[in-house]
Amino acid sequence: MIVVTGASKGLGRAICERLIKKNIDVFGLARNVEDVPFASMSCDVSSYEGVKDVAQHLKKQGIKVMGLVNAAGIASMNLAVTTPQSVAQKIINTNLLGTIYCCQLIAPLMLRNKHGSIINFSTIAVALGLKGESIYAASKAGVEGFTRSFAREMSDFNVKVNCIAPGPIDTSLLKGITAEQINKIVSQQVIPKQFKPDAVADLVELLIDSRSDSLSGQVLRVGGA
Amino acid sequence: MSAIESVKSEVFRHISQLLENKSLIVTDDMSLIGGDSVLDSMKLVELCLALEDKASDMGFEFDWTSDAAMSRSRSMFRTAGSLVAEFVSQMEAKK
Repeated sequence: MIVVTGASKGLGRAICERLIKKNIDVFGLARNVEDVPFASMSCDVSSYEGVKDVAQHLKKQGIKVMGLVNAAGIASMNLAVTTPQSVAQKIINTNLLGTIYCCQLIAPLMLRNKHGSIINFSTIAVALGLKGESIYAASKAGVEGFTRSFAREMSDFNVKVNCIAPGPIDTSLLKGITAEQINKIVSQQVIPKQFKPDAVADLVELLIDSRSDSLSGQVLRVGGA
Repeated sequence: MSAIESVKSEVFRHISQLLENKSLIVTDDMSLIGGDSVLDSMKLVELCLALEDKASDMGFEFDWTSDAAMSRSRSMFRTAGSLVAEFVSQMEAKK
């Protein structure tokens, strides 16, 4: 079973659909799972207790967790000086602490198997230092740092930990961003094109698979930076 | 043997199994974390998983991830004796 956060929409949903298509069991987490047509549970990843409830549920159900995809995330494109404190806090809580909580509490379910794959999500904005994304980029830079260290901690248990850093993928997260702004970001990538969610799902599929067992602690930048 | 002594014996047995130096005898004041710890971090996690299983057999959940357990973790894992005390405390709290 692969646990996927942010499973109700956007990249998380696309990843779930891809894995299901490949006959991989998925357990989706999202704040609202009313419209999620596969095994799922409501969870706000920024709540330690909420994530803990999920981990206990999985354990009690005897579900063998072989992977975790931390796709839940929020963005707010603003200058740091015009971002309200509450928004900054929410971004850090969801993107950084949410990823850490899921890793802390769900990884122990993989330690018993001595096998697993954890995939965290960053953004190309970290490498490119994009204007108007400083707080979002800070939260994701934290995820990258966490990924590198956590990968070493999990290595003894044969659990690989990697990070995917997409550019502006065509999902609901980009709502409110103009085509001109997207083009400006895309033009800074090594491969200057906007990728579809499928490109990210391809990487997730690879990182879950044993073909990528030689990779851990890596940040894969979609489009290159 | 009292229930607590039985638990202590069981926890000590688990620790003993994980020791690299098999000639060491597990005592109450044996360090489990820090510079003079007898277990590396991997072995410590394995010990936690073994205690989880033991607790499950005994009908309660040994929680080594809660805020409360973690905030006390310096003492909880400081010595074999303190780990036994925490295990017994959680066992009695969930009776």
